[in-house]
Amino acid sequence: MSWHSIRIVKGSGGYGGPLTITPTEAKHKFIYVTGGERPSIVDKIEQLTGMKAVDGFKTAIPDEETALAVIDCGGTLRCGIYPKKGILTVNILPTGKSGPLQQFIHPEIYVSAVGDNQISLVDDNAPEASTSETATTEPEATTDKPKFDPNKKITEQLQHKSFIAKIGIGAGRVVSTFNQAAKDSVQTVINTIIPFMAFVALLIGIIQGSGIGKIFAKLMSPLAGNVVGLCVIGFVCSLPFLSPLLGPGAVIGQVVGTLIGVEIGKGNIAPQYALPALFAINTQNACDFIPVGLGLEEADAKTVEVGVPSVLYSRFINGVPRVLVAWLASFGLYAK
Amino acid sequence: MHYITDFASGFMNLFQTGAKTFIGWMSSIVPVVLLLLVLMNTIIAFLGEERMEKIAKASSRNVLTRYMLLPFLAAFMLGNPMSFTLGRFMPEFYKPSYYAAMAQFNHTSNGVFPHINPGELFIWMGIAQGIQKLGLNTMDLAMRYLLVGLVMNFIGGWVTDFTTAYVCKSSGVTLSKEVKISSKPEAA
Repeated sequence: MSWHSIRIVKGSGGYGGPLTITPTEAKHKFIYVTGGERPSIVDKIEQLTGMKAVDGFKTAIPDEETALAVIDCGGTLRCGIYPKKGILTVNILPTGKSGPLQQFIHPEIYVSAVGDNQISLVDDNAPEASTSETATTEPEATTDKPKFDPNKKITEQLQHKSFIAKIGIGAGRVVSTFNQAAKDSVQTVINTIIPFMAFVALLIGIIQGSGIGKIFAKLMSPLAGNVVGLCVIGFVCSLPFLSPLLGPGAVIGQVVGTLIGVEIGKGNIAPQYALPALFAINTQNACDFIPVGLGLEEADAKTVEVGVPSVLYSRFINGVPRVLVAWLASFGLYAK
Repeated sequence: MHYITDFASGFMNLFQTGAKTFIGWMSSIVPVVLLLLVLMNTIIAFLGEERMEKIAKASSRNVLTRYMLLPFLAAFMLGNPMSFTLGRFMPEFYKPSYYAAMAQFNHTSNGVFPHINPGELFIWMGIAQGIQKLGLNTMDLAMRYLLVGLVMNFIGGWVTDFTTAYVCKSSGVTLSKEVKISSKPEAA
């Protein structure tokens, strides 16, 4: 029988990959270590590659013969143990880098949230192969797997999974998706929100504590406390030659916003003006990011050439009207 | 000596004021945003990105879906900056306009759904913390921010269609308004 390479990409919410799996004479088996049931991707991999699947709970195969490990690990041990051994690992659950062995989990060796749709056949002539061995077709001993394996429980071989097992797998998937979402969220908070909070809090401390705040309040209140002043802020921020400079990381907008917020908190600016202020401080929104953003949209070079001035102009045209509309919409907000 | 200690305590006061602000945010903003992020990330993982791509393909034809419905959904589902990637289903001519609308949706919806753009949260939160300090409900402000955004971001995208046409005309470039079938760039 002949072997074929497959390519496995990560699924929705998954991590890592894409992996290319190339069976060879030495490595033509793969192991699946999943709770009870045989996942459908095991069948798919078997069909596409011609490799033999081995249930890791029943038998072991030597690591050097293992081309791939299929697991359903929510982030404790299994997801790290095969990458640690240098075995390509496919996780059915959307688990990222986690667990005690997380330092071994890399996109080159690990892919998660894999379903049937994430697995596709690779053209055998394609040069890329993440394993260094080359694919050999070799006709001998590896016997075809019989349709029904006498060594397996009948439930594992039936098309319909048992009701209890379905509930178990479903619950496991829900829990691990939540768990992974929580890990991602904590990372976001630690990596992006808290650092910015620290920076802004220090800024506020310096401004409030040093008395610059009083000077600033005198300067800011007449500007941010009425519609004309807010329009001026919006106008200045949207000037096409200025807006790309004000954009990066939205840092300037965030700092000015915080300062206005402090004045609102102190009662120097009426809370109603919070709404137009939100629009006024951000009329330069993403003007620094246009080429990158258009790159994400896979735009042609010509589109980028046209798009940059076009967006700058439209921001300028829209800037002040946005503030005015927000001001009109702010009537009745926080009215006593 | 007196002056030195005064100066030192004044100097430390800057950090104490900052620290008070910081810990206030850590106990009020962080837990709420974190739990919201967890739920939203879970929902997004379950719904999947493939479905969003289908919606993107379907909405590229119509002005209203292109600059209002799609960017709103994209912001909610993919956040900043991944939401921009859905622009690849647009004809070349409309890509700048989608960008213009999309970038603003990544902010105006951020008051109600802070998972969209946590890295630039303080555009919203900076002003909202003042409202919070007054003991008022920030959700009133967040809702209006979202609704005004919905209308004005759409207009922003639509206006960009005209500025793109203007820049095209003045620089002599023509961009395709047809939806590309293949992923290969079409000759403009």
